[in-house]
Order: sequence, then C-alpha cells, then structure tokens
Amino acid sequence: MKWPSGPLEIGRRARAQTLTAEVKQLLLDWHAPRALEILRGSPVNCLIVNWASGAPEDEEQQRTLAALIQAGRSLGISFVGAFSGKAVQPATLEAGRKAGLAAALVEGAPPDPSPLLAIPSWPRSKIPWDATFFSYPQLREFGDSKFLFLSVSENRWPGVGLETMHGDVAVAGPTGIPWVDSNGWFSLLARELGREKFFWLDLDPPASPPTTSWHPADYLLAIADSQAYGSWWIVSLEDQMKVRLLKNEPQATKLWQDIAAALSFFKEHKDWSSFWPQGALAVVSDFRGKNESLAEEVLNLLSRRGVQWRVIERSRASSRRFDHLKFIAWLDDDMPDADLLSNLLDFAKQGGVLIVSQSWKLSDMRPAEGPLAERYQWNVLGSGRIAQSKKEFQDPYEVAADIHLLMSRRNDLVRLFNAGMAACLCTASRGGKSSLVQILDYSSSGPAEFVSLWVKGSSDSARFWTFGSKQPAIIQGKRAGNGMEFELPSFSVYAGLEFGEWGL
Amino acid sequence: MMGDGCSRRQFLRGLSATAAGFCLSPRGLLLASNLPTAPVAVAKCRAYGPEVLPTLETMFDQLGGLEQLVKGKTVAIKLNLTGQANFRLGYKPVELTQWVHPQVVGATVHLLGQAGAHRVRLLESAFSTDEPLEEFMLRANWEPHDFLSAAPRVEFENTNYLGMGKSYSRFPVPGGGLMFKAYDLNHSYEDSDVFVSLAKLKEHATAGVTLSMKNCFGITPCTIYGDGAGTDEPSLVPRGGRDMLHDGHRRPSQSSPSENDPGSPREGGYRVPRVTADLVAARPIHLAIIDGIETMAGGEGWWVEGTRPVRPGLLIAGTNCVTTDAVATALMGFDPMADRGTPPFETCDSTLRLAEQLGVGTRDLRQIEVVGTPIQEAIFRFRAA
Repeated sequence: MKWPSGPLEIGRRARAQTLTAEVKQLLLDWHAPRALEILRGSPVNCLIVNWASGAPEDEEQQRTLAALIQAGRSLGISFVGAFSGKAVQPATLEAGRKAGLAAALVEGAPPDPSPLLAIPSWPRSKIPWDATFFSYPQLREFGDSKFLFLSVSENRWPGVGLETMHGDVAVAGPTGIPWVDSNGWFSLLARELGREKFFWLDLDPPASPPTTSWHPADYLLAIADSQAYGSWWIVSLEDQMKVRLLKNEPQATKLWQDIAAALSFFKEHKDWSSFWPQGALAVVSDFRGKNESLAEEVLNLLSRRGVQWRVIERSRASSRRFDHLKFIAWLDDDMPDADLLSNLLDFAKQGGVLIVSQSWKLSDMRPAEGPLAERYQWNVLGSGRIAQSKKEFQDPYEVAADIHLLMSRRNDLVRLFNAGMAACLCTASRGGKSSLVQILDYSSSGPAEFVSLWVKGSSDSARFWTFGSKQPAIIQGKRAGNGMEFELPSFSVYAGLEFGEWGL
Repeated sequence: MMGDGCSRRQFLRGLSATAAGFCLSPRGLLLASNLPTAPVAVAKCRAYGPEVLPTLETMFDQLGGLEQLVKGKTVAIKLNLTGQANFRLGYKPVELTQWVHPQVVGATVHLLGQAGAHRVRLLESAFSTDEPLEEFMLRANWEPHDFLSAAPRVEFENTNYLGMGKSYSRFPVPGGGLMFKAYDLNHSYEDSDVFVSLAKLKEHATAGVTLSMKNCFGITPCTIYGDGAGTDEPSLVPRGGRDMLHDGHRRPSQSSPSENDPGSPREGGYRVPRVTADLVAARPIHLAIIDGIETMAGGEGWWVEGTRPVRPGLLIAGTNCVTTDAVATALMGFDPMADRGTPPFETCDSTLRLAEQLGVGTRDLRQIEVVGTPIQEAIFRFRAA
C-alpha cells in the first residue's frame, strides 16, 4: 500500500501547488505511528513510503520515518522505500537497508548489484521489454512470493470512462457502447512480455470533489481489475478517504473494511493468479514499435467484446503454444521468419484459422468462402483456412470487431446477460483440472442483479464466490444450446465461478 | 422470378391491393365499408414444444393454406427481435418475453419450405449493429443453424443498414403517407415476393400494442432513421435507436424523403402509430403471425417499467395485418376500436385506426371472421396479469 506522508510528500505537494492546510495536516497525521492502527487486522503487510528523491527534505523524511517503521514492523508490516532521481545510488540504498527497509522501489532499472532488493518501476509506455533484466534467471523473494516484482505507472483508473458519463447515466461511447477503462488486458500482456513476472500496478484514485457529499472512488474495482488478471494494485487512498479514516467516520471505516475483505479474498485464492487464460484465439505480435499501438488496443477492444484470448509474443511463438487454439490473429504487417511461418501454416493445415494482414505474401492457395468476404480473402490450406485482410490493419476497433466475426460467436467461451458494463475472464489451472470465470462489473451503480452466465461445455454446477464469502454458493446450470447457463445471485463489483474441467 | 411485363415493384403494388385478405382465404370479402378483411386463426398452444409445428400448420390450413401464397416465391420474414440480445427481463431468455421464440420461427420456416417457398429470408434490423443477423442471434444463445436446416435456401439479413444491397429501396406510401410520403429500406424488403411479419403479443409503451404492424416499425434502417444516421447520406453503420421517428428531434438523412409536415406534433404517441401505419401500407404484409405463447405484459421490452412475464398460451395468424392485430388486441383484453385516451392507447393514437384509414384493413371485429379458438375462449387480459 502506498503511504505518502511526511516532509517529502509535503514538499512535493507544495511544488505542485496542491498543498492546503488541511492536506498538510493530513500528511503529518499520516506520518505518525498511530495512523498505522487502521491496518491492524487487515491483510496489508507492506507499505511504500517516500524515502529519497534527492530533495532537501530527504534527511528529515528518513529521520522521521524511523518511528513509523519501528511501529509498523511490530505489526508485521514491511516497508519499501521509494527512491527517485539522483537518490538511486548504492550508498543511499545501503542506508535504506540499514534503516529497516525491506526493498526499494526505484525509477527505471535498478543498480546491479544492489545492496537492497530493488523493485524497478517504469511508466507503461517505457518498459524496456527487451532488457536483459527481464531474463534474470533467479527468483527473488519478497514477502510471501518468490517472483520478481515490477511496478508500472500510466495505468487507467478502472470504471466507466468519464467521457461517456452524463451525470449518473452512462451513454454510448464512440463505438456504441459505454466506454469502460480497464487495465486487465495490460496485465495479461505484461505477464507474457515480462516472462511471468508479477506486476504491481501503480495508479492513484481520482480525487474526491471537495463537497459535503462524498463519492469515494471504486477501490474494490481497482483491486479486482488488477488481481483477477494476475497483477497487484498498490493500494492508494485519496486524501478525503484518509482524512475520514483518521476521524473514524463510519462510511470510510466500512469502505476500508470492504477493501481489506477484497484483498483478503484474493490472498485466500492466490492460486487463481497462476491460472492461464483460455479461449480459442491467440493474438500474436511483437507489441513493439510501430506494431505496439494497434496490437495493444486490439487486445483492449477484444476484451470489451467479451472475446477470450491468449496473447503470444512473436519471439515466443511455437507450435506447442498453438495447442487447443482454433484461431491465430497475426497483427504485425511483416511476415514471420521461415520457421515460425512453417509452424503457423502447419496450424492452419491441421484445421486452424489464421487471420493475417494484407502484407502477407501467400502463394498456391485455393480460394474459399467465409464471412466478411468484402474485407477478407479466404484461402483453404489443408483442413484449415487463412483469412487475409484486403487492406492493412489500421483501425483497432475494426480489427477487433472483424476478428470476433471471423471467429463467430459460435466460438464464444462465455456470454453474459444483463451485465452491460461487465467483463469476463476465463482461466484454467495448468493441466485444466480447475477452471474459473471471473466477472467484473465496471458500472459502479450498485449490485449487479439478474445476471446470467452462459458457459460453453457441459459443467452443470459451479462454486460461486463474491468478496467476503468464506464459502462458495453452489449453483446449478441449465442446458442452453451447446453450453450451460447459470443464474447468478446478486453481486457487487466481482464474482468468481469455479468449475471443474471445461468439459468442452 | 417475376413474370414477363411485371416488375417486382408492380407485383408488390398488386399484392398491396389484395394482400389484405385475398391471397389465402377463399372466404375473403370486401365488405360494405370497403375495408379489406380476412379471417384470423387463433389457437391455444401452451408451450414451445413440438406442439408448435402442428398448431401452426392447422392455423395456416384454416386460413386457406400457404402453398398458393408462397410456392416458388421468395419469402421475407420480419422477426421481432427488439432491443439488445444480451439484456433480459430478469433471468428470462429474450424469447420468453420480448422476442419471438425460435421454435415459432423454425416451425414457420419449415412450413413455408414445405409449402414450396423457393427461398426464405429471415430479416431484422438488429439493434445498433451491422453484424450479421446470425451473430446477433448467437449473442442471445440462439442457433441459426436450426433455421438453415428447417427449409431449403434459408438466408439471413440484418436490415438495419445497407447490408448486402447496393442501394436502399424506396417504398412510397399509397396516398402520400401520414408522416412520410416514402421510406427508404434495405433491399430485402423489395427483393421478396411475400412478406411475413412474425411478431410477439405485447403491449407497447408508446404505441399501445406491439403486434404484426408495430413489428414493422423496425424495418426502418437506423443508418437513415436512427440517432446516428448520416446528415446528408445514410451512415455506414447503424448506431442507437429510432428516436427521430419517435420525437422528430431531427430529420432522416437528406437522401431520403423528409417529413410531410415538419410542424406536426413532436410526440411519440402521435408519430409512432403514423409511421407504423405508413410502413404497412407501403410494404404490405401478406402473412401476420403473432407469438403469444409466453411473452411480457406492461410494455415491449425489459426497459419499460412494470413489465412482467406472462403466459397467454396463444398463437394468432392472418393474412391481413389489421384484422390480425385487431383480433390480437381483443385477445389481450382491449377493444380494438378504442382510440387515444382508452386502453391500450391511453397516450397514443391507434395504429389500427390509422392503418384502417389508409385502407389496409378493418379493425371491426364484427367484420372479421375468427377461425379456430373463439376470442372469448382464449382471451388473456394483459392488464390483469
């Protein structure tokens, strides 16, 4: 959890001209050991504190943090110091270690070697995916996890995009449906590009309007939008929430309890984060340079359409990873190298469908019929087919919609009813013994009611989980076409349904 | 497909004069009032099981049989699939409330094929999308393959935009129209010899009832008559609903005929019934089928406050959309002769009366022969349900 407080934060806010007397008092109160009382009994076990930024306040900050760190450690809390700018130096890191920090959060690549476990942090758009850093063979231990953590900023606060809200009413966005912001697609992509590292998502809630009617941010959604997809949100509270928590106001206290319950829920189900996305489609790209923007937005928009996809970084594509797929969408303009091309064509020959851009040079193909014939040339290859776009892939909305139609909804893994602003993620354990459908409701307009979930296959019962539930409710499905339909009990923000094998 | 010297347009006009009653029924009469009439078949059908097919078959036989109407012809069926596929009234699948049921669609397609229809084309203007109709159906957990196998040469088209046509087809309203003198529609409404409206037995928040005529409000493409329609030319993709036809807040794309009287009331209760009456006069319905086995009361979709699922257990069919809707209105517990201010037309004009005014058919039950189950034995009062 982010714990911005003390002289460094006061100085930063002053320079940003956002420091009021009330905020200053809050940052001082939050710096005092007694503020840690709100964490008692919560699953929060790690705080990120401002430590060193090369500013004049560094020394005072570190001196005054000593009491907070001491009190926190007695509660079982470890501390990560945030280092930035010129402060990212071995000597400074060593001083942090001696002061009791468990790790350092540093901007950019950490010094190597580092005297203190360093967690690197980048803006999303500047992550050096090709850095050798990502290929560190050794596992690094932190907290109760044995994975290397990375922190990423430039994330979106999840929810219905503000540009599509008129008062409390969501209206159609430019593509006809309310616009939903989510970091889910990025978490799945980062897991692929980051070689299965764990990511901390660094995003702050929008500030509450300074009015008497307090509208707290949707913290539970921020937790679900990261954890369901395998990332961790660095809990960050906005100032109004902190002020009210320190005053023990009931609404804020209840919200904090709900946040703690949501964090505990995912901690109790941490095995789910190792589950792998399911779906008939893989999206392949290098996700870099000129391909980055389109490929990333296609992932985002496929998720909004409810398409379940797997992502494969081009350099990691192999025939083994094409198992259980029916469709592969190759989004980059340039063709794969000879080996990978051979693998992809084999995939098609064995019955798969390749969706490729105009620039692919294909020969000796037999034309075939297929959907969207006005925009795609279909060719038969073995027992499969290739759909080649008649123009370059340019508009990600169109590309995502086309991919969905080329696949046909007949290949949907799940469908949701009465959940207009909800997203679904289907995952399964390695070996496929357990499968999971997680539903996130981005509407923030109260409990989702009368929601039905259709799941392809024959699983006739599911274990239904919501935040705070210690035991799942067992719900029975009804046959609907080539799947089963489940009438879900009312839920807020998040629901998880555990099944056995997909039984497809 | 048309005979020498007779264009499809001329053929349609010819049918327009006779559609209201003479195609099927040997007993069709033009009564003293000069309004066309035709028998209406009513049957009880309690569930969407195998009983649907023989029940419909009997009803069509009672109307004189389908063969003489459809043999060798291209038949277009406008389905009532209103609203989005993924929103429901409670947990009820859409086909049990606001959409016509696939069992009724499949049985109708099968019987049309059996009667010798050359081609059956399933049509609907899928809400706010240019996706193929099959994909829209899949979104609702329907299986379009079921319809493909119900008869030879079954096709689908989403008529909410240009679709597979090269241009829109213009349909003039005989007599100049109540709201528009002509409407521009997807080609499929012209490229068919026989037009079937396959509707749901429902009330309607704006028009009082949703029956075979109101079902045709949805034949208007939203690329021209929708909220996201192009200003000068039709938009490429339909977005949103048809508020412009409801409240007249804007005009259709300039490429289409504008309103007859821009000073007319900007009120849905005035406009929607008139547009509907215009449409069924311009694009005549040859066979009206209404699915009232399971449906909803209180409105046309889950978005209307107070709607609730009901089970009237009824199927209704006729060859004149006005007589068929008049009988259906009576079966719902309303007086088909009622007009604005009286249920179900508390806040709107009666589409039945307006269609009657355009000469499409009579709504006077005294002039309509009901075959099969009498109205009094089948009545299901929607307001009491």
